Amino acid sequence: MPSLLEQLLLARTGPMTSELVQHPGDFGLGKVPSRLAPAGTAKAICGFCSTGCSLQIHLNAAGEAINLTPDPDYPVNLGMACPKGWEALTPLAAPDRATSPLLRDSKGGLRPVDWPRALAEFSGRFKSVQALHGPGAVAVLSTGQIVVEEMALLGALAKFGMGIADIDSNTRQCMATSHVAYKQSYGFDAPPFTYADFEESDVLVFVGANPCIAHPIMWQRVMRNRRNPAIIVVDPRRTETAMAATLHLPARPKTDLTLLYGLARELIKRGAVDPTFIAEHTTGFAEFASFVDTFTPEHVARETGLSMADILHTAELIARPGARVSYWWTMGVNQSHQATRTAQALINLSLMAGQIGQPGTGANSITGQCNAMGSRLFGNATSLIGGYDYANAAHREHVGQILGIDPSLIPQQASRAYDRILDAVDAGEIRALWIIATNTAHSWINSGKFAQLRDKLDFLVVQDMYATTETARQADLVLPAAGWGEKDGVFINSERRLGVARKVARAPGQALSDFAIFKLVAEAWGCSPMFARWSSPAAAFGVLKDLSRGQPCDFSGIRDYDHIEASGGIQWPFSEEMAERLKAEKLKEAGSALQSFSPSAFFESRLFADGKFFTSDHRAKFLFDPPVPLPEPVDAAYPFLLNTGRGSSAQWHTGSRTDKSAVLRKLAPNLPWIELNPSDAAPLGAVTGDRMLIRSRRGSTTALAVVTPIVQPGQVFMPMHFAEVNVLTFPAYDPHSRQPAYKACAVAVSLAPNL
Amino acid sequence: MVAPRQPPLLALVDELLAEQGQLQTPVVRAAEAYDRAQRGQFNSKTHADLIPLTKPGPGEQYAFQVDLDSCTGCKACVVACHSLNGLDDEEAWRDVGFVVGGSRAAPYQQTVTTACHHCADPGCLNGCPVLAYEKDPVTGIVRHLDDQCIGCQYCILKCPYDVPKYNDRLGIVRKCDMCQQRLGAGEAPACAQACPTHAIKIIKVELHVSVGGALRPDTSKFLPSAPDPSYTQPTTHYITKRPTPVDVRSADAAVLRPQPPHWPLVALLMLMPMAVGCGVADKILDLRTSALAVCGWVAGATGLALAGLHLGQPLRAWRVFLGLRKSWFSREAVVFGLWFPLASAYVAVRLGWLPLAGQLRSGLAVGTACLGVLGLFCSVMIYADTHRVFWRVANTAPRFFGTAVILGLAGALTAPGAPLALGYLLAGATILKLAFETKALAALAEEDDGMSPPARQTALLLTGPLRPANELRVFAALLGGILLPFMVSSGTAPLWVAWPALAFALLGELAERYLFFRAVDAPKMPGQPDPGRGGHA
Repeated sequence: MPSLLEQLLLARTGPMTSELVQHPGDFGLGKVPSRLAPAGTAKAICGFCSTGCSLQIHLNAAGEAINLTPDPDYPVNLGMACPKGWEALTPLAAPDRATSPLLRDSKGGLRPVDWPRALAEFSGRFKSVQALHGPGAVAVLSTGQIVVEEMALLGALAKFGMGIADIDSNTRQCMATSHVAYKQSYGFDAPPFTYADFEESDVLVFVGANPCIAHPIMWQRVMRNRRNPAIIVVDPRRTETAMAATLHLPARPKTDLTLLYGLARELIKRGAVDPTFIAEHTTGFAEFASFVDTFTPEHVARETGLSMADILHTAELIARPGARVSYWWTMGVNQSHQATRTAQALINLSLMAGQIGQPGTGANSITGQCNAMGSRLFGNATSLIGGYDYANAAHREHVGQILGIDPSLIPQQASRAYDRILDAVDAGEIRALWIIATNTAHSWINSGKFAQLRDKLDFLVVQDMYATTETARQADLVLPAAGWGEKDGVFINSERRLGVARKVARAPGQALSDFAIFKLVAEAWGCSPMFARWSSPAAAFGVLKDLSRGQPCDFSGIRDYDHIEASGGIQWPFSEEMAERLKAEKLKEAGSALQSFSPSAFFESRLFADGKFFTSDHRAKFLFDPPVPLPEPVDAAYPFLLNTGRGSSAQWHTGSRTDKSAVLRKLAPNLPWIELNPSDAAPLGAVTGDRMLIRSRRGSTTALAVVTPIVQPGQVFMPMHFAEVNVLTFPAYDPHSRQPAYKACAVAVSLAPNL
Repeated sequence: MVAPRQPPLLALVDELLAEQGQLQTPVVRAAEAYDRAQRGQFNSKTHADLIPLTKPGPGEQYAFQVDLDSCTGCKACVVACHSLNGLDDEEAWRDVGFVVGGSRAAPYQQTVTTACHHCADPGCLNGCPVLAYEKDPVTGIVRHLDDQCIGCQYCILKCPYDVPKYNDRLGIVRKCDMCQQRLGAGEAPACAQACPTHAIKIIKVELHVSVGGALRPDTSKFLPSAPDPSYTQPTTHYITKRPTPVDVRSADAAVLRPQPPHWPLVALLMLMPMAVGCGVADKILDLRTSALAVCGWVAGATGLALAGLHLGQPLRAWRVFLGLRKSWFSREAVVFGLWFPLASAYVAVRLGWLPLAGQLRSGLAVGTACLGVLGLFCSVMIYADTHRVFWRVANTAPRFFGTAVILGLAGALTAPGAPLALGYLLAGATILKLAFETKALAALAEEDDGMSPPARQTALLLTGPLRPANELRVFAALLGGILLPFMVSSGTAPLWVAWPALAFALLGELAERYLFFRAVDAPKMPGQPDPGRGGHA
């Protein structure tokens, strides 16, 4: 015991010291701050990206979330999370949450109104637009950020209940290419892989992907690979992932297609193809082989700017007999003017070598948003709800029967794509928009255009957690939505794993879950009887199970949310037969003592192990097109090629949530920046920290100079999280997926004049 | 009568709002929690390779080891530190920056995660006036005693790695303690357990006995682009198998980072030299009136009072003598603490309130002046001891003592009966000090190799963001220190002009002291190129 004098002189304890005392972990947790000792925990799948990490939410006695830690028992994240996951609760408590419906009044300001008034305005004004200009004059722009029950209800309500023809979502901006590429090549939008493949590969080829910061928990799996893999990164920038790779191929922007065709030619030349697989399970190889014959290493080196040695070395690595090769892509591929063909060039490489369906193989799309996969299946936009085909009468009949609606209410063609919807607004054809959980005014390519379109809309409804997004501020009516953590439902992650998000916090004020808002809209619109089966998210999940039955994405073997949670998530397909078969196996193993069954926590499944694809002839297709030049090449007036993308792991999309966390804001500059090569910065007189002026043919903005050799001379990079950036981007689209090409436009850069 | 029924829409709104507000309580979730509890306590086995199996032996201590090849910039460590330690909104004791370098053929950019380096010779600990830092004799963890801290922030100036962070809410600094509570329970620190690629580990490092007899770690494994480890002997190991380019530098090396002005300190360090200068001048000139002595006392009293505003926890400041053995901050506080009663007594004597004469009176004057000079010397050493380039003795001493001379003379010039020639002396002193100060701009003449050494940072700050203050400083000195005093002394201006001269001289020295704080290059670990996050506040 210290003496009284010592205690007086040296305060080792006291109120401030107590603040940081830790509490021994209960509930399987490690030590936690005593102030935040939980009374219990719940689990929820994270609502940012598609990795689909499980978070263990710490609850107080009232059941309110007070803290969280990553779930140690979940097969996806194995006790880890990225900064966004760790901070998932903070955006819920932001002071600028929308807490009541807001209606633009005669003076032009947004004023709070009650729900009945908001709903009356909603249905009244949308209906009058439809009465005047036809039902197609109202369109919906939705999201990959809400749970699948909500996106399905929205899709059904909008198309079958409200007679809306066009609904598209922000997944058009991130995953449309993967969707179309898989659908064309495999016959269904079916990413074939499981995350274990990161650990099982001998050669991992990342194209246009920076998982180190965009999907850090997937990178965790790469680092767990004990096979001493070759990691090849194709990216014009020396990204964090390129730094960590064993080989970085800094191909010129948008020459990846040429490179991949060249690699295909090399595989053929080296005899590193699987003739049996090609013959039995694919079509179009002969045409493809003759097509790629002109992509000689010399030609590829010339086009890509890569050395012959690097190209041949890459070919050698992927052609090594017995090596498990996996191809991984994300936005660098998806957001380009030949995106679908580039994704398919990767699919072709995996097909020709029979590198699919086995551990550590596959052409694998890393998804963006937490529920882009759910949106792709149940958004009711490009595909009829459940992955069906609008044009197929039998499909319409089948879906109508499951939903208990008249099949004639189901349109015979798919929705128009996002860009075409905005074109239709421009043309005066679409007069009203309902935007849900996305920030079009910030994120859509060439955003200056959207600003002009606002004036052409008779009515704009924005449904969001915040009334302060760039888009919500322009709305005529804002509907306050509950966010992740304030509602229940299912997300589907990159590897087709269904996981449950739980309600662990109260939504502020009058905010309601999107599911509840859609139910209110149905009631106000007068079509609620059509959705009687959709009484709750759990009931809606039952509808989705029925829709999935017999489809490639069949998950009818899932019992309910608890089943998913107890199983550590469940990957589709998981049909009733699969569930029965697994149950029988387990019972045999464990004897009759086993009362309830769930797949093991590390249950992993891959598609196409049997070489049977979802096309009508069960064969995968080789699809290809010649590379075409950049839509907006650089010239003397605009001599730099601007690439855009993720700025840091702490930033998400337009920042409407991540900007609400003080600790996340610390992790990246709080103003737009532009990366410049030292050899470009020097003649401009720019050093890191200077303010630069960036101009394109569409607009101009300023940004902080970051001089770094990771961008090549002649190229610049800007993070997409700042509204200013899309003022610059060039509106080019992939012809198949209609996905915007955010990754390449011509700009001019100079020191900004002093204010 | 039938109760009026709500229309279905209204009823549904109410029903859904009520539903939205319902949460499952932990009691309802109890079964699930029970399951988890059954599954076992926190699985510290997964941490086994993140922390040493045994405690450090003699001649060893714990240290962070960062595998740069595994650190890929996800920054989970920062947020885990924030969440698992229950820190305030934007508080985290770990940070991630990056370094760049390399050639066009082999560009290099590496993220660097950094927390407290638990130095063998911690600057924070050595500078703390109240012994609020302790180095654990077994683990070597440098721990901060939050209830002991007076919030003087001197440790922030002393640490070359920008580790201790001031917490406005509490009025103290807080810092990383290597999660010693977790380590004690066999758990890895928050950052280490949250790193998806296991880039952060706790290791035991050996300490060797240096020539001076102190225990020193091997600093060859410290980060190349970080501030010189010879000052505080950081223990963190940064390991990599990749070659590090020779030109590697912090990504934010070129970003100009004006430092916080610390206004109370600016006031203290302008007014105390004035007090000492006036006291000395009063003794030397042996003036008839007590005006100069009073003027000096008022300056000193005001300076000391304002300095108190700098402390986050002034009520704890009585312990400030505890650090006398090592801390110049303690020494300054104690010396000025003694000076003040002496100076007060001297003023009382000069005012005739205290009858004291002859040798005693003279002794009091000399003693006060000597103590004042000693106090100023301590002030100089406070800053010199931070090892910051701009604050070296050779740069700080001329400034602080120069202020004493200038303000002493400027004060004296206003005193009735002061010799007019003082104005020439003042002009001369001001010219010398201004000339000395322009030396700070010399670094601009050197070639820019992109590495932005500290002297260049200071020069760029003085000519860039701090230019207005620098111009004000020169203008005020020219006017109050040179032109007006010259006019007074030469008889071209009336005597009362000595007062505006004093005012402008004060303004000039105030601006100079402000620049002293703001233009210093504060060393730190590599950060992000964000000018919005320049200071350490």
